[in-house]
Amino acid sequence: MSLSRLFRTPEAAAGLVILGLLVAMAVAAPWLFPRDPLAIAGQPLLPPFQDWALPLGTDRLGRDVVAGLFHGARTSLAVGLAAAAASILVGSIVGTVAGFAGGLVDEVLMRITDAFQTVPGFLLSLALVSVVGPSLSVVVAAIALSAWTGPTRIARAEVLSIRERDYVASARVIGMHPVEIAFREVLPNALPPVLALSSVIVAAAILTEAALSFLGLGDPNRVTWGGMIAEGRAVLRSAPYLSVIPGIALVLSVLGVYLAGEGVVEGTAAREGQA
Amino acid sequence: MAGFEISRRKVLAGSAFLLASTALPSIGWSQARKGGRLVVAADSEPRNLNPAIVASNGVFFVSSKVVEPLAEASFDGEDGLEPRLATSWEGSADGLSVTFKLREGVTWHDGQPFSSADVAFSALNVWKPLQNLGRVVFKNLEAVETPDAKTAVFKFSKPTPLQLIKNALPALTSVVPKHVYDGKDIAENPANNAPIGTGPFKFAEHKAGEYYRLERYDKYWGEGEPQLDEIIYRVLPDRAAAAGALEAEEIQLAAFSAVPLADLERISKVPGIKVITEGYEALTYQLVVEINHRRKELADLKVRQAIAHAIDKDFVVKTIFLGYAKPATGIVPQNDKQFYTPDVATYGFDVAKANALLDEAGYPKKDDGKRFALKLLPAPYFNETRQFGDYLRQALAAVGIDAEIVNNDSAAHQKAVYTEHAFDIAIAPPVFRGDPAISTTILVQSGIPDGVPFSNQGGYKNDELDALIAKAAETLDPAARIELYKQFQKKVAADLPLINVAEWGFITVARDTVKNVSNNPRWAVSNWADTYVET
Repeated sequence: MSLSRLFRTPEAAAGLVILGLLVAMAVAAPWLFPRDPLAIAGQPLLPPFQDWALPLGTDRLGRDVVAGLFHGARTSLAVGLAAAAASILVGSIVGTVAGFAGGLVDEVLMRITDAFQTVPGFLLSLALVSVVGPSLSVVVAAIALSAWTGPTRIARAEVLSIRERDYVASARVIGMHPVEIAFREVLPNALPPVLALSSVIVAAAILTEAALSFLGLGDPNRVTWGGMIAEGRAVLRSAPYLSVIPGIALVLSVLGVYLAGEGVVEGTAAREGQA
Repeated sequence: MAGFEISRRKVLAGSAFLLASTALPSIGWSQARKGGRLVVAADSEPRNLNPAIVASNGVFFVSSKVVEPLAEASFDGEDGLEPRLATSWEGSADGLSVTFKLREGVTWHDGQPFSSADVAFSALNVWKPLQNLGRVVFKNLEAVETPDAKTAVFKFSKPTPLQLIKNALPALTSVVPKHVYDGKDIAENPANNAPIGTGPFKFAEHKAGEYYRLERYDKYWGEGEPQLDEIIYRVLPDRAAAAGALEAEEIQLAAFSAVPLADLERISKVPGIKVITEGYEALTYQLVVEINHRRKELADLKVRQAIAHAIDKDFVVKTIFLGYAKPATGIVPQNDKQFYTPDVATYGFDVAKANALLDEAGYPKKDDGKRFALKLLPAPYFNETRQFGDYLRQALAAVGIDAEIVNNDSAAHQKAVYTEHAFDIAIAPPVFRGDPAISTTILVQSGIPDGVPFSNQGGYKNDELDALIAKAAETLDPAARIELYKQFQKKVAADLPLINVAEWGFITVARDTVKNVSNNPRWAVSNWADTYVET
C-alpha cells in the first residue's frame, strides 16, 4: 500500500499529519523539556504569548503549560496505544477461542462478554481505578477492561466464517492440533478487521484517560491533559486558557487518530477493490 | 404508570419550590422583624447531622442553627463568649466542679421544656462517650448533678481547668433532648438526621442531592429572633458553580470558601456582591505536614529540619492561598490571643541548608541526584491541600528527596493515614479550636489508638512532650497553664514531630442584601438568629 493512496482523501491526510505531530511531540518531549514538567518554572498564572521562555504561559503553581502539553502527549499516546494493544490482544484470543471451540465454551465466553458490554465502560474503569488506586498501569488495565469486548465480537464473527474454509479443513485432515489451527491458521486471517477497530479504541482510550484524570483518578505523578483541564477549572473565569489549551490538544489528537485510522481502512479497502 | 405520575409531580413540586426559593426574597416582608429567606450554598451532605456526636464544621454549618451549645464564641464578650443555653458558669477552686446556670423559658422544637436533665444527659451519654472532641476534653467527667431544673453541676474526677471548659463551650457542648434520645441507641436515632434542638430554626426537610430546609422556630427564647423565616442550603458540590449561582442570585451566600480563592478578585468587583474574610477567627485551619516517624530517615531530626527548610512558606501563602493565609510559625496559630508565642525555633526557606542537613544526616545524593524516596499523601478535602501536595513534591525534589504522590478519596485517605499508617509524609488540615487541649495536643501526643483522625498516627513519642501535655491538662491557674503551652510550642518547633506550614480562615461571599454576616468568630457555624435579608 503506497503512501499516496493513504493521502488520497484530505481527511486521511489531515489525520496522518496530526497523528505525526502528536507522535513527534511525545517523542521529543524529554529532549525539548528535560525538566520534570510538574516543576515550577516561573511566575504563576502567566498568560500565553507574554514570555517566550514560557510561550503558552503557566498554571496556578507556575508550571510550564507547553512542557505539560508535550509530556501530556506522551501519557495520552502511551495509554491509548497500550490500552488498544491490550484490548485487541485479549479480544482476539477470547474471540478466536469462542468462535473456534463453539458449544459450551462459546456460550460461556460470549455471555461474559455480554455482561461486560451491558455495564457502561467508563463506570467500569472508574470503579477499577478507585478500588485499586490510580497509577498508569491500572489506568491502562481499567480502559482495556471496558474495551476488549468489541474486538472479541468481531474476532468471533470472523472466526465463525473462517473455520468452515477449505484450508482449515485440510489442516484438520493433516492432523494439526486444534489449538495450533486456531492460532496459526484462523487467527491471523481474522485479525485485519479487528485491527481496523484499533483507531476507535485508541481514540476512546485517550478520552477515557483524560476523563479519569479530570476526576482526579489519573496518575498524580505524571502530567495528563485531563489533569491539566481539571486544574484549570478552578480558574476558568480568570484564566480560561489553562483548560482551553489542553482541551484543544485533546480534541485534535482524538480527531487525528480517528481520521488516520479511517484513512488506513479506506486505503486497504481500495486496494482490495482494485485487486 | 402511577409511580411515574407521583415522581413527576414530586419533581415539578421540587423545581417549583427551588424557583420560588430564588424569587421570594424580592417579594418582601414588612413586619417588625426583617424576615426573608436566605439561600446558601452547601458543598456536602453530612451523613450524621447531630453536632453533639460529630463536632465538625460540615455538620455545624447546618445543624448549629437547630441545636445550640451552652455558649457561643464572641468578638467582645467576656472570655470571648456569649451565653446561649447557659447564662453563667463558675468553677470551684479545686477544679473538680463547674456550675452552669441555665436559661429560663427555653423549649425544644417539639414543645417540651428544656431543663438541666437534658444537659446532664448530653454530657454523660453523648459528649463524653461518643463525640470526637468531647472524648478528650470530658474524659474525667464523672457526674452531672442537677439540683434544680436550671442548674447543672459538672463533677470531674481529676482537676480540670475552667479555662479549657470555657474554650470548649462553643464547639463541644451542643445540647440534645433527653426525651428523644434516652433509652434508645443514640448513634442510630433518627433525630441524628432530622435534629431536634432549641435553636432559632427548626429542621424542616432534607432532599438528598438538592437542599436542606430550616424553618423559623416561633417560640425561640431570643427576643425578636430569629429574623429570617427560612434558610435553604442548596447542595452545590461543584465549587465553580457557587460563584455562578451567587451572580445569578440563585443563592445569597457561600461560606467556607465555596467560591474558589482564584475567583475572589473577579467576583469582588461584581456589583452587589461582597467578599468577607472575617467570621472564621475561632476556626483556624492549619496546613500541616504529617510525618511517619517509623521511617528511619524521617526519625532523624536533621531530615525533618531539612524538609522544613525546603518549604517556601511565603510561596505557599502567595501562590496556593493567593494571600488568604499566613505562614505558620508553630503548632498554635498566630491569631490565638491566649496561647500563641512567636518565641520558637523557625525554619526559613533555605535549599542550601536543607541539602547540607541531609548530607550531614548521612543521606548523600546518589548518581541520579536523589537521596531517598517517600510516599506523599495529600488530604483530598481542599483544593489547597492537594495543590500543596503538588508543590511539596517539587520542593522536596529540589533537595533530592523523591516524593511520589498517592491520591485517595476522603475515606481511603483517612484509612491509609490514620488507621493503616501507610504513608511517609501526609498533608493534613487540622483545626485549632481556641485551646490546645481540644484538638491540637493530640497531633503530637503518644498512645492514641489507631483510627483517630487528625491525631498523632506517625508513631512519634516524646516523653517530655507527653508529660507537658498531661501537666497542662491538670493545671488550674490560667497563667500557669498558658506558660506550659508556650513551652509545649517551643518543644514542638524544636523537635518537629510535624511541620506547620500555613494557617488560614475561610472566605464568605455574600450578596449585599444579607445583613449581620460574620459578626462572631465562628459565624458560619453559629446560629444566624440575627441575620436577615434586606428587601
